[in-house]
Amino acid sequence: MSKKECIAMLLAGGQGSRLGVLTRDIAKPAVSFGAKYRIIDFALSNCANSGVDTVGVLTQYRPYLLHSYIGSGAAWNLDEGDGGVSILPPYATQTGGAWYAGTADAVTQNIGFIEQNDPDYVLILSGDQLYRMDYQKMLENHKRHNADLTVAVMPVPWEEASRFGIITQDDDERILKFTEKPNKPDSNLASMGIYIFNAKLLVDTLREDAIDQTSEHDFGKNIIPKLLADGKRLYTYEFQGFWRDVGTIASYHETSMDLLGMQPDFDLYDDENPIMSNAGAKPPAYVGPNGAIDDCLVGNGAQIFGSVRHSIVSTSAYVGERAVVEDSVLLPGATVKDGAHVVRAILGENSVVEDNVVLGSVDQTKDTAVIGNDVVVGKGEE
Amino acid sequence: MEKLIGLVTANYSTKYPSALSETRPVASVPYLGRYRVVDFALSNMANAGIRTVGLIMPYNYRSLIDHVGSGRDWNLARKKGGLFILPGSAFGTSRTGSRFLLRDLEHNKVYLKRSTADLVILSSASFVYNMDYNQLAAAHSQSGADITVVTKSATEKDVDVTGFVVEDGRVHGIRHGVAFGDEAFLDCFVVRREFLLSLLDWYEQNDYLDLFEALSGDYGRVDVRTYRFDGYAEPIFNKDAYFRSNMQMLDPKILAELFPAGRPIMTKAHDNAPAKFESGSHVSNSAVSGICRIYGTVTNSILGRSVVVESGATVNNSIVMQSCVIKSGARVENAIVDRNNVVPAGTELRGTPDDLFIKEKAAD
Repeated sequence: MSKKECIAMLLAGGQGSRLGVLTRDIAKPAVSFGAKYRIIDFALSNCANSGVDTVGVLTQYRPYLLHSYIGSGAAWNLDEGDGGVSILPPYATQTGGAWYAGTADAVTQNIGFIEQNDPDYVLILSGDQLYRMDYQKMLENHKRHNADLTVAVMPVPWEEASRFGIITQDDDERILKFTEKPNKPDSNLASMGIYIFNAKLLVDTLREDAIDQTSEHDFGKNIIPKLLADGKRLYTYEFQGFWRDVGTIASYHETSMDLLGMQPDFDLYDDENPIMSNAGAKPPAYVGPNGAIDDCLVGNGAQIFGSVRHSIVSTSAYVGERAVVEDSVLLPGATVKDGAHVVRAILGENSVVEDNVVLGSVDQTKDTAVIGNDVVVGKGEE
Repeated sequence: MEKLIGLVTANYSTKYPSALSETRPVASVPYLGRYRVVDFALSNMANAGIRTVGLIMPYNYRSLIDHVGSGRDWNLARKKGGLFILPGSAFGTSRTGSRFLLRDLEHNKVYLKRSTADLVILSSASFVYNMDYNQLAAAHSQSGADITVVTKSATEKDVDVTGFVVEDGRVHGIRHGVAFGDEAFLDCFVVRREFLLSLLDWYEQNDYLDLFEALSGDYGRVDVRTYRFDGYAEPIFNKDAYFRSNMQMLDPKILAELFPAGRPIMTKAHDNAPAKFESGSHVSNSAVSGICRIYGTVTNSILGRSVVVESGATVNNSIVMQSCVIKSGARVENAIVDRNNVVPAGTELRGTPDDLFIKEKAAD
């Protein structure tokens, strides 16, 4: 195995509990997004498009769909003879074995994977974010600063700053202060949870952290503050562009809607850096004689006989005659039967809304309606 | 179960060339927006669990080899077996209407000899249908026939299809062209591998013939039987048949017959973003492939990947292939627009339902 300059560790073990029924059976990175993708496609495609060809994917919560979806990594050109995708779930040893107890602990338990690849740098990623980034540029930035750790950052609205790890930096982009989810943020520069570490420092720091009884073994809460306190060279890499961490049903819905309109915030059509996915071959979308579609993304295999406005109709979803769908997201295989009316709703994979059922409300003060995967909504159940 | 390998003769053109197949073999003519005709032969084999397939290449193989690659999309990138790219004879590139030229099989005898399979399924790449080849193989083994040919009941529109003269369940000869109700050959047959090799020895001196022509004098001693396929099957031998078959896919029932959930038609994977139907677009009774962006009006039509229909443009009763742009105010009607064409603003490409307008492939 040849030496790698930079490998990625992709954290994909989270449940994403705030996504409710959407993550009841599958991990958040496996949740469908954008008519034909799953959330993890974005991080894996970024790796492939950035020339990072060795990716460890750390999985834990309900990993079956995620594992089968990633497969050999071929869908993202990551079926490399030397490197490629390695799936890294929790494992047992002679002394027992343990679940991943935090973001840092998950990587600590896979130090063996890092050492086996012997990289100069380790890129830490989250499998549940939507963005397009060239990690090589971040790495160049890291090297230019002769940094020990580089944290990707972006400005966020002040009112949201207390949801993030907030950074204060000097004029040379060196990090002066890092506070995880501050009550009173003094900066709106937020950590995106994307890090490049010098590999040796990462391994040494994780080993120390592992035996620290007081640590929660979390990058944001423990590792970064410790390195900062130790006087290490921590720098930022400012990212510009579309970046979303779809933590909640509301933000999932809103981010989906961001893909629509004449000039959407996120360009799915960038040929140079395509978002790749592991999609089966389906015939083209079909629109019936009475179909009416206005401002929608439509995946292959979808069939639309009714009216759909400002919505996402994923792979093999179905909208029956006289059905109306508005401001909604139909996940793969979701079916809206004849005459049903769905508004501001997310319909889970292979869910069914029966004939003439009315679901959801235009009232913005009400929550987005969500139907779990495989759930059937009949008359009187809405 | 007996072990199967496949052999696809993808090196034939048709007697009735059109702009569509002038520059490419029928095998790589686009079908229903995102497929190519060869996908049906390869997927039928893949869906029957066949993991060793020889693909006899046409002279102008660029588009075909670009499409099939390593064969991975049909589960044919294997350590043992997999996809074998085989040479076709120069003769086979001419428009003979032949599909199983003995010379092509003779040239690739080594593929057949090295195999240890019991049966070989041979298919051209010129029909679209979705069939369970395991049932075909089982019927062949059970009947004890030497060769089992797949047939359908001919329609009056099956121009250029080979017919079989059948009496008492056995084939007694072939005829070029078929009449309504005839046993029309789907250009697919199954044969015991050892027997196919011995046929090649018998007819070594006649290798300029099609296998089924060579058999003409021997239907008495070679037991050739038919296996009737009743599902959707259409030849792609001329532009009218091509257009008709594509358009039939706008009927969801027929679509479901050719593309059933359990036996997918596989094709080269692309990273297609979803299709985008913009505000103000009007689309009805149409199939729309990935990356299409529609601002205008599309009715009764099929759009290939990455087609843009600008605002005020209309496409009606037409097939528009990959990467075409229909500019604002342009009108496309009763037409087949091959790849990469830009239809300028305010212009028309217009045929009639009986005389389709064909716009040839434009340069990249």
